[in-house]
Amino acid sequence: MSNPDTSFRAPPDTPVAMPRVRSFVGELPLLAFVLAACAGLIVFFTGNSFAQNLLATTFLFAALSTSWNIIGGLGGQFSLGHSVFFAFGAYIAARMHLDLGLSPWLALLPAALVAAAFAMLVSWPVFRLRGPFFAIATMAMTEVVLALAMYFSSITGGAQGLSIPFKAGLHNMIFRDRMSYAILMLCFLAVTLIVMAAVTRSRLGYQLRAVHDNEDTAEAAGIDVLRTKLVGMGISAALTAMGGVFFLMYVRVVDPPSLFSLFDIGVKIALIALIGGIGTIYGPLLGALLVVPLEGMLRAELGGMMPGSNLIVLGFILVLTAMYLRKGIAGTGTDLFARIRGGR
Amino acid sequence: MILNRRTFGAISLAALAAAAGTPAFAAEPIRIGAVNPYSGAMAQYGDEVTRGFEMAAAWINGQGGVLGRQVEIVRGNATSAQEAIAAVEQLVGRDKVDILVGTYVSAMSNAASEAAMNYDKLFWETNALARTLTDRQLPNYARSGPSSNEFALRSVQGALELVAPRLGKTAADLSVWIEHEDSAYGTSIMEEQLRLFKEAGLVPTGVGAHSARAIDVTDSILRAKTANPDVWISTGYVGDTNLLLRAARDQGFAPKAIILLGVGDTQETLDALGPEFLEGVLLVSYARPDVNEAYGPGSDAFLAAYRTAYGRDPIAPQGMNAYVGLKILFEAIAAAGSTDYAAVIEAARKIDKPMNTYEAGYGVSFDDNMQNVRALPVIAQWQSGKVTPVYPAEAAAAGTAIVNLPRG
Amino acid sequence: MTELVNILAVGLLLGGIYALVSVGLNLIFGVIRIVNFAQGEFVMLGMYGAFAAQITLRLDPYVATVLVGPALFALGAFVYWVILRPLQGQPMMQVFATFGLLMILENTVLALTGGTAYSVNSGLTGYSVSFGPIQIGLPRVLVLTAATVVTLALGWYLKSTMHGKAIRAVAQDRNAARLMGVDVERIYMVSFGIGAALAGLAGCLLSPLYTMSPQIGMNFIMPAFAVVVLGGLGSVKGAYFGGLIVGLTEALAGFYLDPALKQAVLFLMFIIVLVVRPSGLFGTAGAEEVGLREQS
Repeated sequence: MSNPDTSFRAPPDTPVAMPRVRSFVGELPLLAFVLAACAGLIVFFTGNSFAQNLLATTFLFAALSTSWNIIGGLGGQFSLGHSVFFAFGAYIAARMHLDLGLSPWLALLPAALVAAAFAMLVSWPVFRLRGPFFAIATMAMTEVVLALAMYFSSITGGAQGLSIPFKAGLHNMIFRDRMSYAILMLCFLAVTLIVMAAVTRSRLGYQLRAVHDNEDTAEAAGIDVLRTKLVGMGISAALTAMGGVFFLMYVRVVDPPSLFSLFDIGVKIALIALIGGIGTIYGPLLGALLVVPLEGMLRAELGGMMPGSNLIVLGFILVLTAMYLRKGIAGTGTDLFARIRGGR
Repeated sequence: MILNRRTFGAISLAALAAAAGTPAFAAEPIRIGAVNPYSGAMAQYGDEVTRGFEMAAAWINGQGGVLGRQVEIVRGNATSAQEAIAAVEQLVGRDKVDILVGTYVSAMSNAASEAAMNYDKLFWETNALARTLTDRQLPNYARSGPSSNEFALRSVQGALELVAPRLGKTAADLSVWIEHEDSAYGTSIMEEQLRLFKEAGLVPTGVGAHSARAIDVTDSILRAKTANPDVWISTGYVGDTNLLLRAARDQGFAPKAIILLGVGDTQETLDALGPEFLEGVLLVSYARPDVNEAYGPGSDAFLAAYRTAYGRDPIAPQGMNAYVGLKILFEAIAAAGSTDYAAVIEAARKIDKPMNTYEAGYGVSFDDNMQNVRALPVIAQWQSGKVTPVYPAEAAAAGTAIVNLPRG
Repeated sequence: MTELVNILAVGLLLGGIYALVSVGLNLIFGVIRIVNFAQGEFVMLGMYGAFAAQITLRLDPYVATVLVGPALFALGAFVYWVILRPLQGQPMMQVFATFGLLMILENTVLALTGGTAYSVNSGLTGYSVSFGPIQIGLPRVLVLTAATVVTLALGWYLKSTMHGKAIRAVAQDRNAARLMGVDVERIYMVSFGIGAALAGLAGCLLSPLYTMSPQIGMNFIMPAFAVVVLGGLGSVKGAYFGGLIVGLTEALAGFYLDPALKQAVLFLMFIIVLVVRPSGLFGTAGAEEVGLREQS
């Protein structure tokens, strides 16, 4: 399926932008450049902890959105239930830290594995559904797990939530300064981007895109559609759960309504990917760089004036983005680039 | 305008004034960052709390300020723990506040106070209820107002001291149903209520949880109705409390006494249920500005000042609790001689004021966890469409009687 | 026994609420294939519309429907024409746009009201109907009645009128309908308008039951999605019976199991139905396979 010809035959308006076929290794210089630019942002804002905090949140959401993009963008499976995997990561790390005194670093791998296994298990039946049915089923899944998390309070702390005591130190993943969190989140972003790039340029990536374009054709072409979707979902969920671990150590107080928030997590990471450009490697990062600071700025500048005014503006921006940036920033940018190059 | 965040206009004006050689301000103002939700579901109450802060600032500025410095309130908008961290970064990093205060939402207080600790800034809590906040013993944290435990305590006192005698029952044979919304707020109050009732030798007939987002709560009411309690105690938000009361009315669930915590004392509930149904319903809440002047000295003046500032009555009593909290903070700052968190906390620890010193009826005495143990809510009652304080007795106006108990 | 009958009655009446809220959502879902996140906000606007009609014109909320319904129709048609029509064939962007719309509507109402929780009163609130030992609030009976009437009327309209037939034709095959001379764009606009108007109607009829807040639309939308998918894509009957099933499930689980678990039971049942019979109880088999893909 890595036959380059297939991608050239893709109709021009496929949401997946593929200017030319590149290997994973060929992807690395750009990846290194992008990460260096992000690191440059951190260095540039040295000493400004307001900005560092914003960068930390931006990179976290960029990373979560990149993780979502593997199944949601490449595979076209529009999941709105990723907050479940996110919460899994947070709770596993919290329990390991609070009960066993283990470092959250050690929780990353178990969180990823458990979330991946869980994701594949619940997705198996749900993957029979397509399009809006799939999206709504994933939302329903969020509601089920939320209700269960509230009920089984011995594990999750129930409604009261769990809080992690403040013991600063690298091994505890707790820092006094915001710059360390920005660096931490950037490292996580780097991991997700590398995975995304690797998947995009792998056999799996092409299979996912084939499934995205047309499941029946993919099936006819000999792709095991269900297996492709399950593997994609597993990888995506594993990364999202790692994000949950980082989020836990960042806010150090988590409760079900905030972890399972449909709109603050589940829908938001999908929206960021859509704004940035779904299916592209750097789209979610672009989306996050736009949306998260904008959101923060609007909240800070307008929030105190008239209740809700910041969200009204954000709502208009969402509608306008949907209408005028249909392929997201990355897609529109690529198109422009192609037009300029192709014009002459 | 007076108290809002400095605007670019204000900055340029100040720069102009400095350039023109007019004497600069005697001293930099003390900037206090108010972390609260100003958008989203809690916006109205977040705003009301911050109005309390702003009125306290206006009051102290009228007195010449604290330590010879004026006080300025800067708003920091947040609706979740994660946003609260961002709000603290903004307030400290960009707006250069000296102290942080808040909050209407406990989860926000938790995250914001730790973020404030990173900068060695004081976080002075007035309104958040979760008991766990002070149990953390964070060195920069103090709570001037009541916690969830005090609310639970008052509700249990209401059941045992107001209701039981009127039903001719002892504590042990009173039957009680505890209903609560299922987030941290309702759950923590329910747990303390259970503990206090057990201490009094009473095991509640039943405990019910409901979601504040529920479309229908008739099932919760029917469960309570089946248990047939003497007293039905409920903790919730405005919408779900009104929905429960409506379901109770429709289903003919008629306990002999109804006690509501935190909400149910506003126009919003009166509009929904009408004065006849509400007659006699007991309300555990912060003291309202119309509390007996002997219980809350200055409350009348607060009410007058509020009306002047905003042209209407307070929507909820949270504002006066916030106002009192800031007055206590000002005293602690004055005693400490600085805004350094360790000094202010140490000074606050030494303050000893008897009950009924402040507008809300509070005194000051901080325990080891820096929880003010002389801050208690009161019990009021709906009487002919008005919320009338009834408990403790000193809070009630002369001649106030308890009505419609048992409910008939 | 009385207890069970009472719970069943409560569940049916709750089902009436869900059915009324879902019928418009399902029309939009079925005909235009848009997952309209903002449908709950249309219900919320209907409630505030009833409130506005009460304080300005002293209208009873039941009477206010004659003003609020057309107003919501106009709003829905406008929203479709300006925002959603240009996004045809971009289902994800449409979802995204309705989400933006949700934020705009919810927060505009918040900004206008400052978040105060209003209630409206009707001459009929407080009345109860007694059936033997069971007591039922009259407004809830009216909601169930309205849901039934709307379902029957909409079913008749789609089946028997020329315009209704056109809507069904477009829902089945847009291109074939276009070839038959149906103005597809207009049908979409009208359908979206009708869907919004039905939400507005629901809002008016529900307003005496609830204390309104700008966020209340969110409380309706999640169960409404469950109802629509459970009942079947685009099936009017499906929304009705789906609503009743969801209402009954919730009431039974809430009373006999635990109110804290009713959401879990409800959505679990929903996922199971979806997996066993993905097209929903009354949907056309295979409809779910159409998914987000552009119709060919």
